[in-house]
Amino acid sequence: MSSNRRNDPRAQVGASLAERPAETRSRPESGPGALQQHIGFKDKLVAGFLHHQMVAVETLLQLLAHPASSLMTWLVIAIAVTLPGALWMSVSNVEQLSGSIRESGRITLYLNDTASNEQGRQLAATLERLETIDEVIFISHEQALENFRRTSGMADALDLLPGNPLPVTLVVQPASSLDATSIRSLSERLREYPDVAAAQLDMAWLERLRAWLVLVQRMVWVLGGLLALAILLVVGNTIRLAIAARVDEIRVSKLVGATNAWVRRPFLYTGLWYGLVGGLMAWLMLIVLWLLLKQPAADLASRYGSGFELAALEPAAAMVLLIGSMLLGWAGAWWSVSHHLDEIEP
Amino acid sequence: MSMVRFDQVAKRYSGGKEALAGVSFELERGEMAFLTGHSGAGKSTLLKLMMLMERPSRGQIFVDGQNLNRLTPSQIPYHRRKIGVVFQNHQLLFDRTVYDNVALPLLIAGYNHMDCARRVRAALDSVGLLGLEGRKPVELSGGEQQRVGIARAVVNKPALLLADEPTGNLDPDLSEEIMDLFMRFQQVGVTVLIATHDISLIESMNKRRLILEHGMILEDRHVF
Ligand SMILES: Nc1ncnc2c1ncn2[C@@H]1O[C@H](COP(=O)(O)OP(=O)(O)OP(=O)(O)O)[C@@H](O)[C@H]1O
Ligand SMILES: [Mg+2]
Repeated sequence: MSSNRRNDPRAQVGASLAERPAETRSRPESGPGALQQHIGFKDKLVAGFLHHQMVAVETLLQLLAHPASSLMTWLVIAIAVTLPGALWMSVSNVEQLSGSIRESGRITLYLNDTASNEQGRQLAATLERLETIDEVIFISHEQALENFRRTSGMADALDLLPGNPLPVTLVVQPASSLDATSIRSLSERLREYPDVAAAQLDMAWLERLRAWLVLVQRMVWVLGGLLALAILLVVGNTIRLAIAARVDEIRVSKLVGATNAWVRRPFLYTGLWYGLVGGLMAWLMLIVLWLLLKQPAADLASRYGSGFELAALEPAAAMVLLIGSMLLGWAGAWWSVSHHLDEIEP
Repeated sequence: MSMVRFDQVAKRYSGGKEALAGVSFELERGEMAFLTGHSGAGKSTLLKLMMLMERPSRGQIFVDGQNLNRLTPSQIPYHRRKIGVVFQNHQLLFDRTVYDNVALPLLIAGYNHMDCARRVRAALDSVGLLGLEGRKPVELSGGEQQRVGIARAVVNKPALLLADEPTGNLDPDLSEEIMDLFMRFQQVGVTVLIATHDISLIESMNKRRLILEHGMILEDRHVF
């Protein structure tokens, strides 16, 4: 077919020219200045939107057409998102767990030396009626001495003392609904009671845990920041290679009138897809991780007599990870594009 | 108003080489001219200045009444859409089909698919390549590839068509065929400027010749 045309090119060209659409042939009559095509603003807007859509679909298909290399980038992003995601999940679980540990918030009230067992019992009954308090354990002079004798191992020394130096003691269990600050203020209020000499809040264990949590949370942020940087670099580098592979196309496009925005678009969408799919994979990994750990965690908790259940990442947090990874993919592409693309001139 | 006007244009490359040293000429609308001269005379440089691939060091260039010195970088793409260009190394995208290659300027200018398809067909028709839309450039002969490049240059119906050595790699028959094509575009009103070495080819064509030598216009041979 093409050899035919080659044999008689002039006739072919002439014939086809004669058949050119009227708009083309009428150009000389349209006069000077009318040669440039004018496209309305609205058409441009629609065309711009369509181009976005087309580029979005094309870049995704392009990535799917090279699954091996795309998967590498996706996995790197997925792992980089999964790590802080998993830490985050652990931290929020431990936070939840620590809230359910009751003993940790116990308040021990030591009454005045002069307060009798009877006064102590009355105070215990009064306190027990408060809504902020679940339970009050009354420990008499004698019981206190007995306990001390058993636990201190200084029984002989105690026998030397003339009387019983130990005060009546009340162990207060705050309502489980109270958080740490409420427990603290409850303890302050209890100290003000007339017969109370001292109130000792036993929160050291809990506070140590809280301190650990703050530390680990900080670590999540630092780690998250570093891994975000890693995503930026990985996507940036991948896009740099993509740009290098398409230098000719970029040159030609610019030569026939492509704006920088037009040339940039496919690369930015590619970055967006890397981030989005990587983020989705990370979400999947976190769900698998949760499914794997759920049963062992419940077993472990039941051995401690707790009904604790490992919670999955909340949807809001998962959304944050997803959008974050998408934005990082886009930013990585933007960073790479602004470094390498504008330099390519025809 | 002329289509192209050069006013004392000089171009000195950063290497210190003065490629053009004060060139002045005008091209009327619908005119066709050849730009000739020895290798290194500044033919490509002159065309690049019109495409704003380079900026002049001195002088002014007007294309379609627009002073190119006044264009900002963001206006350059829109200026380039007014001009069709054909290069010797045709600058086709070899991983795309003929259709995609020719449609590229339309896609960039924001045409919808229907207009796009219609115009691509018209352009391919005008270079005698209708029916080859689905082929890849590697599956075409050198002459056919060059014609795809021409189709891409004219698909946007530019007022001005520039060609740099469009027949450089082609045998005499094919070269004549390509030149014939350019003449036909002139006949429908396009202003055409072609840089070429091939004196023997254009001798017979009775068109205006601009002869460059060492960055100056040595001769401007009008044909009436
Ligand atoms: N980018 C550049 N940097 C420095 N010097 C350049 C550049 N481009 C061209 N030149 C020089 O400018 C002069 C004119 O070059 P140009 O390419 O315009 O010549 P030409 O007439 O097209 O030659 P040819 O017929 O070989 O294509 C040459 O001496 C060339 O070495
Ligand atoms: Mg040249």
